[in-house]
Amino acid sequence: MLIKSFVSVGLLTILLLVGVSYADDFSPEKVETFFKKWSPTLCVLKFTQTALDPRTGEEQQQPGSALAVLVSADGLLMTNGYIQRENISSSNFRAVVVQDEKEIEYQATLLEKPRDVNLSFLRIKSDSPVNLPYLHFLENAAMKLGEEVAILGVMSENMDFHPSLSLARIAAVLEQPRTTYCIDIPLKLGAVTGPVMNKQGEVIGVTGFELSANEGGDLYTRSGHPMIFQSGLFMHYINNPPGERLEDDSGTEEAWLGVFTQPLKEEYAEYWGIDKPGGLIVSTLVPDSPAEAAGLQVGDIIRVFDGQPIVAVLDRDVLSFTKMVRAKEAGARLPVEILRDKEPLTIEVILGRRPRSTQEADEYTDETLGIVVRELTQDLRTLFNLGEDVQGVIVRRVISGSAAQIARMQPGIIIMSLGNTAVSSLEDYKEAIAAIEHEKPLDISVFARAGTATGFFRLKPRW
Amino acid sequence: MNMKCCMKMRSVLRNAGIAMGLSFLLFLSGCTTLTNNMQEQVLDAKRKIIPSLVHIRPVKEVFVQGKRQEVLALGSGFIISKDGYVVTNEHVAGESSQVICVLDDNTELEARVIGTDPDTDIAVLKLESDQALAFARFGSSASLESGDFVLAMGSPHGLSRSASLGIISLTDRYLGELGGITAPYNNWIQTDAAINKGNSGGPLVNLKGEVIGINTLAMLGAENVGFAIPADSAREIVDAIIAHGRVQRSSLGLSFQEMHAKTDDKTVKGVVIADVSPLSPAAESGVKAGDVLVSINDKKVNAYYEEELPAVRKQIADLPVNEKAVLQILRGNEPLSIEATTEEKMASKGTQVEFHEWGFTAMEMTPELARRAQLPQRQGILVSGCTPGGLAAVSGIVAGDILLEMDDEPISSLTQFDELYRKNLAAHKKYVMLFVKRGAVTRFALMNTDALGDAVIDKEILEYVD
Repeated sequence: MLIKSFVSVGLLTILLLVGVSYADDFSPEKVETFFKKWSPTLCVLKFTQTALDPRTGEEQQQPGSALAVLVSADGLLMTNGYIQRENISSSNFRAVVVQDEKEIEYQATLLEKPRDVNLSFLRIKSDSPVNLPYLHFLENAAMKLGEEVAILGVMSENMDFHPSLSLARIAAVLEQPRTTYCIDIPLKLGAVTGPVMNKQGEVIGVTGFELSANEGGDLYTRSGHPMIFQSGLFMHYINNPPGERLEDDSGTEEAWLGVFTQPLKEEYAEYWGIDKPGGLIVSTLVPDSPAEAAGLQVGDIIRVFDGQPIVAVLDRDVLSFTKMVRAKEAGARLPVEILRDKEPLTIEVILGRRPRSTQEADEYTDETLGIVVRELTQDLRTLFNLGEDVQGVIVRRVISGSAAQIARMQPGIIIMSLGNTAVSSLEDYKEAIAAIEHEKPLDISVFARAGTATGFFRLKPRW
Repeated sequence: MNMKCCMKMRSVLRNAGIAMGLSFLLFLSGCTTLTNNMQEQVLDAKRKIIPSLVHIRPVKEVFVQGKRQEVLALGSGFIISKDGYVVTNEHVAGESSQVICVLDDNTELEARVIGTDPDTDIAVLKLESDQALAFARFGSSASLESGDFVLAMGSPHGLSRSASLGIISLTDRYLGELGGITAPYNNWIQTDAAINKGNSGGPLVNLKGEVIGINTLAMLGAENVGFAIPADSAREIVDAIIAHGRVQRSSLGLSFQEMHAKTDDKTVKGVVIADVSPLSPAAESGVKAGDVLVSINDKKVNAYYEEELPAVRKQIADLPVNEKAVLQILRGNEPLSIEATTEEKMASKGTQVEFHEWGFTAMEMTPELARRAQLPQRQGILVSGCTPGGLAAVSGIVAGDILLEMDDEPISSLTQFDELYRKNLAAHKKYVMLFVKRGAVTRFALMNTDALGDAVIDKEILEYVD
């Protein structure tokens, strides 16, 4: 990938475009100046996308790329928030910037995603301090319907991410829930998060499709109306960047109780002879969960949680409760008022940390046997209905042509021991492999569980 | 291909045949003696079997979408005694409400099912007739060799009294759990004699006119890859069914893997224990997965390759039930002697019942099903199907759910649940509360017997973990 001679090629493109129809609004001279000024702030972000099918354990990795813009001299990057969506994790970020006509690739760290706007922030990693060109935003630009804007972007990968420029008009000015502009052209992928300029060459914002506040979005445009995220929406994140995404070993920051519940519908209340419907029936207790430790039982009905009445009568009300629990602090002591056999009872629970999910789990690429293994997380235990006696690591991928593939290992099997060493965590696995690499045995007996059956695989690594 | 099309083809072939006949004769004349001899043998063998061949039309009980239905099936079989015992496949005659047999002379007789054995896919029927019936004799399958000529006889696609010729492709094919079919206690005879749907239960015959196998499987999508249960295995099962109506087997709760999975050293004799069922006799006496079983009651066991596994399983199955067995085991390099008491192996196929008023069918839990569901012991019944719009379906029950409790009463068996169900119907109770397990999650499901018809299902996801 090369970003070649930004200026000369860019100029050609613009002259062409401008010559055709927009001479009145954006003169070629103007466009050239703006382009020179702002295009060095563009940056191509390359990363690895990993989508996971939790059922099969199959994992698909593919390279991804996106346009990002530099928003501070010390290397703060802003890009579209889709790189941080659910079920897909992106990693191994590299930012390619052009400095003094030279292409430089930096490693970049993903920061915590803002909750209220669908943008992601990254920080360039560098041993020495950097001083990079960055976008200056005009705050609160009042654009009018039909007014023309210029959008900077890059072309697709097969055109070496050449910089490009599009001209568009304000197609709609939305007033609710806040002033937002829609533009009248479809947005090419390379122009998403592209800086948007007015005729004075001031950057009024970046392009995007709105989905925000936990991906619900208050302006729902999944159907694809391109918008302008005005600087007012994100300036506070630039001035006060979010923290680095926390890599925590023991779990997430979110609180966890460890129950599955059902709403106490009217019929259920009638059946159990309870005066008023509303509440949550504990239908399953997760083993070793805070709920179990607190002595909650299957069949208990939660009526008040930390002082807040629970009046769930619809299946979807369960979701609100989930959110309510998540919003609490892990480690908090809370009173929970329940009905047990129609008798009211108050139980104190100490909330735990929500266990890490498959997406957050650590993984390890074992080149010796030719497999990628991952720790066994609580959600997989629930999904596969694994008893507590099953300890190990799960095979996510079998490398083609490896010793593991020859031994007919499959993704989804759970490795419980390597040779004579029991494996109950990723650390155990790494240690066992290190010992094997040291001893170089001719074959390794792997004890594993596939579905409900256990058995042995015999692997012969090529030393 | 429909029948009309077949007829047309036949006349075309006949016309072509006249022209081609000459050249064939010329070609074959060089090896006349061998061909004639072979032709005679095939005819002799066929003539010996044909009178005992049975075309079977069972009315089978099937459970579809929460309803019990009866469907007519097709199969083959053969008479093995003059008083009318008939051998066929379990998948032909099992779970049937009526079995009609058509003999070689087109006599139609209704047969009684004496017993079935799903583990070997064998069933024995009994015909009642005033006259002595022609019957076929079993030969020995142990002396077979691949390359031997064989005839497959039966009713492919319902076309009775058909015969096809081929050779034995392999005498001891191990199929493992291929395509969900398990034959834990025997290997298979593989043949290229055409075996089609409807051949099931028919005899595989050698040129002496002896039954050396029971045609049972054909590989889908493949041509001329058929499998028969060897006569030696079949005869033992048939005898047991005639004597006791069923086959009793012992179990220790062990799963095996061939020694090759552990070592290249062929001098190490034994079999690898791949899995020990929880709560089984072997688990309780301390046998562990990874141990190598060397002998049982001083009889050596050995399976270096997987095709030797059925014999090991059979060795355990043949132990007397509820008696102590001494297992010699290698744990690492340490020899151990472990004593375990055998228990009777539970039926691998659970019976099914329809609960019409509640709109679902359920199946008895087998130990294997209980194990898959991670239940600490055998409890509950398994929902096998729900009628769309029926009470169970409307109350959120789906196929695969395990009913654990009904109105606070633990469910232990299909019979006990059936009793509770009948009591409930008689009492005209408005509500029935079921406690249900689905995967790792349990939930309550309230059935409102009044509300059926105007119930609205809240289609949103039913549970979330907190």
